[in-house]
Amino acid sequence: MKRIGRVVLMAEMHGRDLIRRHAALGLLIALPLSFYLASAGRDQRAPVTGGIGMSFAVSGAALFSIMSARAVDQRLVLAGYRPIELLLGRLGFLGPLALALAAAFTALMAAMSSPARIGIVALGLAAVALQAVPFGLAVGAAVPRELEGALVVICVIGVQLASATGTAVSKALPFYGPQRIIEAGLEHHGALLVPALHTLGYGMALLIVARMLIARRVYVRKPSPPDAAA
Amino acid sequence: MRARLIASGVSKRYGATTILDNVDLTVAGGEVVALTGENGAGKTTLMRICAGVLANDAGVVRSDAPIGYCPQEAGLFELLTADEHLVMFGRGAGLSRSDALRRGNEILAEFGYPLHERVVVRDLSGGTRQKLNLAIALLADPAVLLLDEPYQGFDHGTYVNFWDHCQTWRERGIAVVVVTHMLAELDRVDRVVELPAHPSRSHGRVRS
Repeated sequence: MKRIGRVVLMAEMHGRDLIRRHAALGLLIALPLSFYLASAGRDQRAPVTGGIGMSFAVSGAALFSIMSARAVDQRLVLAGYRPIELLLGRLGFLGPLALALAAAFTALMAAMSSPARIGIVALGLAAVALQAVPFGLAVGAAVPRELEGALVVICVIGVQLASATGTAVSKALPFYGPQRIIEAGLEHHGALLVPALHTLGYGMALLIVARMLIARRVYVRKPSPPDAAA
Repeated sequence: MRARLIASGVSKRYGATTILDNVDLTVAGGEVVALTGENGAGKTTLMRICAGVLANDAGVVRSDAPIGYCPQEAGLFELLTADEHLVMFGRGAGLSRSDALRRGNEILAEFGYPLHERVVVRDLSGGTRQKLNLAIALLADPAVLLLDEPYQGFDHGTYVNFWDHCQTWRERGIAVVVVTHMLAELDRVDRVVELPAHPSRSHGRVRS
Protein backbone atom coordinates (compact mmCIF):
# COMPACT_ATOMS: atom_id res chain seq x y z
CA MET A 1 0.00 0.00 0.00
CA LYS A 2 2.87 2.33 0.84
CA ARG A 3 4.37 1.90 -2.61
CA ILE A 4 1.03 2.36 -4.34
CA GLY A 5 0.55 5.57 -2.38
CA ARG A 6 3.93 6.83 -3.56
CA VAL A 7 3.15 5.97 -7.16
CA VAL A 8 -0.22 7.73 -6.92
CA LEU A 9 1.48 10.79 -5.43
CA MET A 10 4.05 10.77 -8.23
CA ALA A 11 1.22 10.60 -10.78
CA GLU A 12 -0.52 13.51 -9.06
CA MET A 13 2.60 15.68 -9.01
CA HIS A 14 3.57 14.91 -12.59
CA GLY A 15 0.00 15.71 -13.54
CA ARG A 16 0.10 19.07 -11.77
CA ASP A 17 3.44 19.90 -13.40
CA LEU A 18 2.21 19.00 -16.86
CA ILE A 19 -1.24 20.57 -16.63
CA ARG A 20 0.38 23.91 -15.76
CA ARG A 21 2.13 23.90 -19.13
CA HIS A 22 -1.02 25.23 -20.78
CA ALA A 23 0.56 26.74 -23.85
CA ALA A 24 2.81 23.79 -24.63
CA LEU A 25 0.00 21.29 -24.16
CA GLY A 26 -2.33 23.38 -26.30
CA LEU A 27 0.19 23.49 -29.12
CA LEU A 28 0.84 19.77 -28.85
CA ILE A 29 -2.86 19.03 -29.27
CA ALA A 30 -3.33 21.66 -31.96
CA LEU A 31 -0.71 20.01 -34.15
CA PRO A 32 -2.45 16.65 -34.79
CA LEU A 33 -5.81 18.37 -34.73
CA SER A 34 -4.74 20.64 -37.56
CA PHE A 35 -3.33 17.62 -39.42
CA TYR A 36 -6.71 15.96 -39.22
CA LEU A 37 -8.90 18.98 -39.88
CA ALA A 38 -6.82 19.99 -42.89
CA SER A 39 -7.62 16.75 -44.67
CA ALA A 40 -10.86 15.56 -43.05
CA GLY A 41 -13.16 16.82 -45.78
CA ARG A 42 -11.29 15.47 -48.79
CA ASP A 43 -9.10 12.57 -47.76
CA GLN A 44 -10.44 9.22 -46.60
CA ARG A 45 -7.17 8.57 -44.78
CA ALA A 46 -7.52 11.67 -42.63
CA PRO A 47 -8.15 9.56 -39.48
CA VAL A 48 -4.80 7.82 -40.08
CA THR A 49 -2.99 11.13 -40.44
CA GLY A 50 -4.76 12.64 -37.44
CA GLY A 51 -4.46 9.46 -35.40
CA ILE A 52 -0.75 8.94 -35.90
CA GLY A 53 -0.26 12.69 -35.59
CA MET A 54 -1.90 12.41 -32.18
CA SER A 55 1.23 10.62 -31.02
CA PHE A 56 2.99 14.02 -31.30
CA ALA A 57 0.80 15.28 -28.47
CA VAL A 58 1.21 12.28 -26.21
CA SER A 59 4.91 11.68 -26.88
CA GLY A 60 5.55 15.39 -26.41
CA ALA A 61 3.74 15.39 -23.07
CA ALA A 62 5.76 12.37 -21.96
CA LEU A 63 8.93 14.06 -23.14
CA PHE A 64 8.16 17.25 -21.20
CA SER A 65 7.30 15.18 -18.14
CA ILE A 66 10.64 13.42 -18.06
CA MET A 67 12.79 16.34 -19.17
CA SER A 68 11.32 18.74 -16.61
CA ALA A 69 12.26 16.27 -13.88
CA ARG A 70 15.80 15.74 -15.09
CA ALA A 71 17.36 17.52 -12.12
CA VAL A 72 14.83 16.21 -9.64
CA ASP A 73 14.51 12.51 -10.32
CA GLN A 74 17.84 11.50 -8.83
CA ARG A 75 17.13 13.62 -5.79
CA LEU A 76 13.79 11.87 -5.37
CA VAL A 77 15.58 8.52 -5.41
CA LEU A 78 18.00 9.89 -2.84
CA ALA A 79 14.94 10.87 -0.77
CA GLY A 80 13.74 7.28 -0.80
CA TYR A 81 11.81 6.64 -4.01
CA ARG A 82 12.60 3.69 -6.24
CA PRO A 83 13.19 4.39 -9.94
CA ILE A 84 10.29 2.12 -10.87
CA GLU A 85 7.98 4.28 -8.72
CA LEU A 86 9.01 7.36 -10.70
CA LEU A 87 8.25 5.54 -13.96
CA LEU A 88 4.93 4.12 -12.77
CA GLY A 89 3.91 7.53 -11.46
CA ARG A 90 4.41 9.04 -14.91
CA LEU A 91 2.54 6.19 -16.54
CA GLY A 92 -0.25 6.63 -14.00
CA PHE A 93 -0.90 10.16 -15.20
CA LEU A 94 0.12 10.01 -18.86
CA GLY A 95 -1.79 6.80 -19.62
CA PRO A 96 -5.25 8.13 -18.67
CA LEU A 97 -4.44 11.52 -20.24
CA ALA A 98 -3.50 9.79 -23.50
CA LEU A 99 -6.66 7.68 -23.48
CA ALA A 100 -8.80 10.77 -22.84
CA LEU A 101 -7.18 12.43 -25.84
CA ALA A 102 -7.81 9.32 -27.94
CA ALA A 103 -11.48 9.37 -26.87
CA ALA A 104 -11.79 13.03 -27.93
CA PHE A 105 -10.20 12.31 -31.32
CA THR A 106 -12.47 9.29 -31.75
CA ALA A 107 -15.56 11.43 -31.17
CA LEU A 108 -14.31 14.03 -33.61
CA MET A 109 -13.53 11.44 -36.28
CA ALA A 110 -16.88 9.71 -35.80
CA ALA A 111 -18.61 13.02 -36.47
CA MET A 112 -16.47 14.19 -39.37
CA SER A 113 -15.17 11.10 -41.18
CA SER A 114 -17.80 8.42 -40.48
CA PRO A 115 -15.36 5.50 -40.62
CA ALA A 116 -16.76 2.05 -41.44
CA ARG A 117 -15.91 0.60 -38.04
CA ILE A 118 -15.61 3.38 -35.48
CA GLY A 119 -14.94 0.87 -32.69
CA ILE A 120 -11.83 -0.36 -34.49
CA VAL A 121 -10.71 3.21 -35.15
CA ALA A 122 -11.15 3.91 -31.45
CA LEU A 123 -9.01 0.85 -30.68
CA GLY A 124 -6.34 2.12 -33.07
CA LEU A 125 -6.34 5.58 -31.53
CA ALA A 126 -6.06 4.06 -28.04
CA ALA A 127 -3.12 1.99 -29.32
CA VAL A 128 -1.46 5.16 -30.67
CA ALA A 129 -2.01 6.89 -27.35
CA LEU A 130 -0.66 4.08 -25.22
CA GLN A 131 2.29 3.44 -27.53
CA ALA A 132 3.24 7.12 -27.52
CA VAL A 133 3.68 7.22 -23.73
CA PRO A 134 6.61 4.77 -23.44
CA PHE A 135 7.98 6.13 -26.72
CA GLY A 136 8.13 9.67 -25.32
CA LEU A 137 9.54 8.44 -22.02
CA ALA A 138 12.24 6.36 -23.72
CA VAL A 139 13.25 9.26 -25.96
CA GLY A 140 13.24 11.66 -23.01
CA ALA A 141 15.43 9.35 -20.95
CA ALA A 142 17.87 8.85 -23.82
CA VAL A 143 18.55 12.40 -24.99
CA PRO A 144 20.25 15.20 -23.05
CA ARG A 145 17.87 18.08 -23.81
CA GLU A 146 14.29 18.81 -24.86
CA LEU A 147 15.33 20.06 -28.30
CA GLU A 148 17.01 16.78 -29.22
CA GLY A 149 14.06 14.85 -27.84
CA ALA A 150 11.53 16.89 -29.82
CA LEU A 151 13.56 16.38 -33.00
CA VAL A 152 13.68 12.60 -32.49
CA VAL A 153 9.92 12.48 -31.89
CA ILE A 154 9.22 14.62 -34.98
CA CYS A 155 11.58 12.50 -37.08
CA VAL A 156 10.15 9.12 -36.07
CA ILE A 157 6.50 10.14 -36.36
CA GLY A 158 7.15 12.07 -39.55
CA VAL A 159 8.78 9.05 -41.17
CA GLN A 160 5.93 6.85 -39.91
CA LEU A 161 3.40 9.14 -41.60
CA ALA A 162 5.41 9.44 -44.79
CA SER A 163 6.17 5.74 -45.21
CA ALA A 164 3.78 3.58 -47.18
CA THR A 165 2.09 1.02 -44.97
CA GLY A 166 3.71 -2.39 -45.26
CA THR A 167 7.21 -1.23 -46.16
CA ALA A 168 10.12 -2.40 -44.04
CA VAL A 169 10.69 1.13 -42.76
CA SER A 170 7.07 1.47 -41.70
CA LYS A 171 7.12 -1.90 -39.94
CA ALA A 172 10.26 -0.99 -38.04
CA LEU A 173 8.69 2.09 -36.47
CA PRO A 174 6.62 2.13 -33.27
CA PHE A 175 3.29 3.25 -34.71
CA TYR A 176 3.00 0.67 -37.49
CA GLY A 177 0.66 -1.53 -35.46
CA PRO A 178 -1.70 1.29 -34.42
CA GLN A 179 -1.66 2.64 -37.98
CA ARG A 180 -2.78 -0.75 -39.35
CA ILE A 181 -5.56 -0.94 -36.77
CA ILE A 182 -6.87 2.51 -37.72
CA GLU A 183 -6.71 1.56 -41.41
CA ALA A 184 -8.69 -1.59 -40.66
CA GLY A 185 -11.35 0.57 -39.03
CA LEU A 186 -11.73 2.67 -42.17
CA GLU A 187 -12.81 -0.37 -44.18
CA HIS A 188 -14.97 -3.40 -43.54
CA HIS A 189 -11.99 -5.76 -43.41
CA GLY A 190 -8.41 -5.87 -42.21
CA ALA A 191 -6.37 -7.99 -39.83
CA LEU A 192 -6.18 -6.90 -36.23
CA LEU A 193 -4.20 -9.60 -34.47
CA VAL A 194 -0.80 -8.96 -36.05
CA PRO A 195 -0.97 -5.15 -35.64
CA ALA A 196 -2.16 -5.61 -32.06
CA LEU A 197 0.75 -7.95 -31.30
CA HIS A 198 3.17 -5.55 -33.01
CA THR A 199 1.84 -2.73 -30.84
CA LEU A 200 2.04 -4.78 -27.68
CA GLY A 201 5.55 -6.07 -28.37
CA TYR A 202 6.88 -2.67 -29.38
CA GLY A 203 5.21 -1.01 -26.41
CA MET A 204 6.70 -3.47 -23.96
CA ALA A 205 10.14 -3.07 -25.52
CA LEU A 206 9.89 0.73 -25.28
CA LEU A 207 8.79 0.46 -21.68
CA ILE A 208 11.75 -1.76 -20.82
CA VAL A 209 14.13 0.64 -22.57
CA ALA A 210 12.60 3.60 -20.69
CA ARG A 211 12.87 1.68 -17.40
CA MET A 212 16.54 0.87 -17.99
CA LEU A 213 17.49 4.38 -19.09
CA ILE A 214 15.67 6.04 -16.20
CA ALA A 215 17.21 3.62 -13.69
CA ARG A 216 20.69 4.38 -15.03
CA ARG A 217 20.09 8.13 -14.98
CA VAL A 218 18.80 8.28 -11.43
CA TYR A 219 21.14 5.71 -9.91
CA VAL A 220 22.11 6.50 -6.34
CA ARG A 221 25.02 4.73 -4.73
CA LYS A 222 24.27 4.12 -1.07
CA PRO A 223 27.29 4.60 1.21
CA SER A 224 28.86 1.44 2.53
CA PRO A 225 28.32 0.67 6.20
CA PRO A 226 31.24 1.86 8.36
CA ASP A 227 32.62 -1.60 9.03
CA ALA A 228 32.56 -2.71 5.37
CA ALA A 229 35.85 -3.52 3.69
CA ALA A 230 37.07 -0.91 1.26
CA MET B 1 31.71 11.71 18.78
CA ARG B 2 32.05 8.88 16.32
CA ALA B 3 32.46 9.45 12.61
CA ARG B 4 29.17 9.60 10.68
CA LEU B 5 30.70 10.05 7.25
CA ILE B 6 34.02 8.62 6.07
CA ALA B 7 35.30 9.13 2.55
CA SER B 8 38.57 7.30 1.95
CA GLY B 9 40.84 7.49 -1.06
CA VAL B 10 38.15 9.00 -3.29
CA SER B 11 39.23 9.65 -6.86
CA LYS B 12 37.32 10.98 -9.83
CA ARG B 13 38.31 11.74 -13.38
CA TYR B 14 36.36 13.33 -16.22
CA GLY B 15 38.09 12.12 -19.33
CA ALA B 16 41.75 13.03 -19.04
CA THR B 17 41.15 15.52 -16.24
CA THR B 18 41.65 14.40 -12.68
CA ILE B 19 39.16 16.17 -10.43
CA LEU B 20 39.83 14.29 -7.20
CA ASP B 21 42.83 12.15 -6.47
CA ASN B 22 42.83 9.98 -3.36
CA VAL B 23 40.85 12.40 -1.20
CA ASP B 24 39.96 11.60 2.41
CA LEU B 25 37.20 13.28 4.37
CA THR B 26 35.90 12.24 7.78
CA VAL B 27 33.13 14.04 9.63
CA ALA B 28 31.98 13.20 13.12
CA GLY B 29 28.53 13.70 14.58
CA GLY B 30 28.22 17.18 16.07
CA GLU B 31 30.96 18.52 13.86
CA VAL B 32 30.69 21.29 11.26
CA VAL B 33 33.29 21.02 8.51
CA ALA B 34 33.86 23.70 5.90
CA LEU B 35 34.99 22.35 2.55
CA THR B 36 36.93 25.01 0.70
CA GLY B 37 39.13 25.29 -2.35
CA GLU B 38 39.49 27.19 -5.58
CA ASN B 39 36.99 26.90 -8.40
CA GLY B 40 37.40 23.53 -10.04
CA ALA B 41 39.08 21.96 -7.02
CA GLY B 42 36.36 19.31 -6.89
CA LYS B 43 34.27 20.42 -3.90
CA THR B 44 30.93 19.83 -5.60
CA THR B 45 32.19 16.58 -7.09
CA LEU B 46 33.23 15.33 -3.65
CA MET B 47 29.86 16.32 -2.18
CA ARG B 48 27.99 14.55 -4.97
CA ILE B 49 30.07 11.42 -4.45
CA CYS B 50 29.45 11.50 -0.69
CA ALA B 51 25.71 11.94 -1.33
CA GLY B 52 25.76 8.98 -3.71
CA VAL B 53 24.51 10.80 -6.79
CA LEU B 54 27.84 10.54 -8.60
CA ALA B 55 29.97 7.43 -8.93
CA ASN B 56 33.58 7.65 -7.84
CA ASP B 57 36.33 5.93 -9.82
CA ALA B 58 38.18 4.78 -6.72
CA GLY B 59 37.83 4.89 -2.97
CA VAL B 60 34.90 4.30 -0.70
CA VAL B 61 32.28 6.36 1.11
CA ARG B 62 30.99 4.93 4.36
CA SER B 63 28.08 6.04 6.48
CA ASP B 64 25.36 4.39 8.47
CA ALA B 65 23.32 7.58 8.84
CA PRO B 66 20.57 9.14 6.74
CA ILE B 67 22.08 11.83 4.52
CA GLY B 68 20.49 15.13 3.62
CA TYR B 69 21.93 16.68 0.48
CA CYS B 70 21.44 20.28 -0.61
CA PRO B 71 22.93 20.57 -4.11
CA GLN B 72 24.38 23.78 -5.48
CA GLU B 73 21.86 23.75 -8.32
CA ALA B 74 18.44 23.34 -6.73
CA GLY B 75 16.85 20.26 -8.27
CA LEU B 76 13.23 21.36 -8.22
CA PHE B 77 10.15 21.16 -10.43
CA GLU B 78 9.71 24.60 -11.98
CA LEU B 79 5.93 24.33 -12.04
CA LEU B 80 5.25 22.90 -8.59
CA THR B 81 4.79 24.92 -5.41
CA ALA B 82 6.88 24.63 -2.26
CA ASP B 83 4.13 22.66 -0.50
CA GLU B 84 3.93 20.21 -3.38
CA HIS B 85 7.69 19.68 -3.18
CA LEU B 86 7.50 19.10 0.56
CA VAL B 87 4.74 16.53 0.16
CA MET B 88 6.57 14.74 -2.63
CA PHE B 89 9.98 14.59 -0.95
CA GLY B 90 8.43 13.90 2.45
CA ARG B 91 6.57 10.87 1.11
CA GLY B 92 9.86 9.51 -0.24
CA ALA B 93 11.22 9.68 3.30
CA GLY B 94 8.14 7.98 4.70
CA LEU B 95 6.34 11.08 6.00
CA SER B 96 2.61 11.51 5.60
CA ARG B 97 1.31 14.46 3.61
CA SER B 98 0.39 16.39 6.77
CA ASP B 99 3.65 15.58 8.56
CA ALA B 100 5.71 16.62 5.54
CA LEU B 101 3.84 19.92 5.29
CA ARG B 102 4.08 20.63 9.00
CA ARG B 103 7.75 19.78 9.25
CA GLY B 104 8.64 21.46 5.95
CA ASN B 105 6.78 24.66 6.76
CA GLU B 106 8.50 24.82 10.15
CA ILE B 107 11.90 24.65 8.43
CA LEU B 108 10.89 27.17 5.78
CA ALA B 109 9.61 29.55 8.47
CA GLU B 110 12.95 29.28 10.31
CA PHE B 111 14.69 30.56 7.20
CA GLY B 112 12.18 33.33 6.54
CA TYR B 113 10.47 31.72 3.56
CA PRO B 114 7.33 33.69 2.58
CA LEU B 115 4.83 30.96 3.44
CA HIS B 116 1.88 33.09 2.32
CA GLU B 117 3.13 32.94 -1.26
CA ARG B 118 1.70 29.88 -2.95
CA VAL B 119 3.51 30.35 -6.22
CA VAL B 120 5.33 27.79 -8.31
CA VAL B 121 9.11 27.53 -8.08
CA ARG B 122 9.60 29.28 -11.42
CA ASP B 123 8.21 32.48 -9.89
CA LEU B 124 10.43 32.40 -6.81
CA SER B 125 13.55 34.52 -6.40
CA GLY B 126 16.90 32.72 -6.37
CA GLY B 127 17.29 33.07 -2.60
CA THR B 128 13.75 31.88 -1.87
CA ARG B 129 14.25 28.92 -4.16
CA GLN B 130 17.43 28.11 -2.27
CA LYS B 131 15.52 28.15 1.03
CA LEU B 132 13.21 25.48 -0.36
CA ASN B 133 16.25 23.55 -1.60
CA LEU B 134 17.67 23.62 1.92
CA ALA B 135 14.34 22.68 3.53
CA ILE B 136 14.10 19.57 1.35
CA ALA B 137 17.57 18.50 2.50
CA LEU B 138 16.48 18.91 6.13
CA LEU B 139 13.02 17.40 5.78
CA ALA B 140 13.80 13.85 6.86
CA ASP B 141 15.89 14.78 9.92
CA PRO B 142 19.23 13.65 8.46
CA ALA B 143 22.19 12.75 10.66
CA VAL B 144 24.62 13.87 7.94
CA LEU B 145 24.08 17.16 6.11
CA LEU B 146 25.92 17.89 2.88
CA LEU B 147 25.38 21.54 1.94
CA ASP B 148 26.88 22.80 -1.30
CA GLU B 149 26.97 26.60 -1.00
CA PRO B 150 23.43 26.53 0.39
CA TYR B 151 23.19 30.25 1.12
CA GLN B 152 23.48 31.48 -2.47
CA GLY B 153 21.01 34.29 -2.99
CA PHE B 154 20.21 34.59 0.73
CA ASP B 155 19.72 38.08 2.07
CA HIS B 156 22.07 39.13 4.88
CA GLY B 157 19.68 38.21 7.70
CA THR B 158 19.04 34.72 6.34
CA TYR B 159 22.75 34.26 5.71
CA VAL B 160 23.56 35.01 9.35
CA ASN B 161 20.63 32.83 10.36
CA PHE B 162 22.06 29.97 8.32
CA TRP B 163 25.33 29.99 10.25
CA ASP B 164 23.38 30.16 13.50
CA HIS B 165 21.57 27.03 12.35
CA CYS B 166 24.91 25.32 11.82
CA GLN B 167 25.48 25.79 15.54
CA THR B 168 22.06 24.27 16.28
CA TRP B 169 22.74 21.29 14.03
CA ARG B 170 26.09 20.79 15.75
CA GLU B 171 24.38 20.73 19.14
CA ARG B 172 21.92 18.15 17.84
CA GLY B 173 24.79 15.86 16.88
CA ILE B 174 24.43 16.23 13.14
CA ALA B 175 27.53 15.87 10.99
CA VAL B 176 27.58 18.92 8.71
CA VAL B 177 29.73 19.61 5.65
CA VAL B 178 29.37 23.07 4.09
CA VAL B 179 31.02 23.97 0.83
CA THR B 180 31.88 27.61 1.20
CA HIS B 181 34.00 30.43 -0.14
CA MET B 182 33.02 32.67 2.76
CA LEU B 183 36.31 32.73 4.61
CA ALA B 184 34.96 35.26 7.12
CA GLU B 185 32.69 32.57 8.54
CA LEU B 186 35.36 29.92 9.01
CA ASP B 187 35.59 30.73 12.71
CA ARG B 188 32.05 29.34 12.99
CA VAL B 189 33.07 25.85 11.90
CA ASP B 190 35.03 23.17 13.73
CA ARG B 191 37.36 22.28 10.93
CA VAL B 192 38.32 23.47 7.47
CA VAL B 193 39.19 20.98 4.77
CA GLU B 194 40.76 22.61 1.75
CA LEU B 195 40.92 20.83 -1.55
CA PRO B 196 44.07 21.84 -3.40
CA ALA B 197 44.00 23.56 -6.74
CA HIS B 198 46.07 20.92 -8.46
CA PRO B 199 43.98 17.78 -8.81
CA SER B 200 47.00 15.55 -9.29
CA ARG B 201 47.93 16.29 -5.68
CA SER B 202 44.35 16.36 -4.46
CA HIS B 203 44.39 15.34 -0.83
CA GLY B 204 41.97 17.10 1.49
CA ARG B 205 44.01 18.71 4.22
CA VAL B 206 43.09 20.20 7.54
CA ARG B 207 43.84 23.90 7.87
CA SER B 208 42.50 24.65 11.32
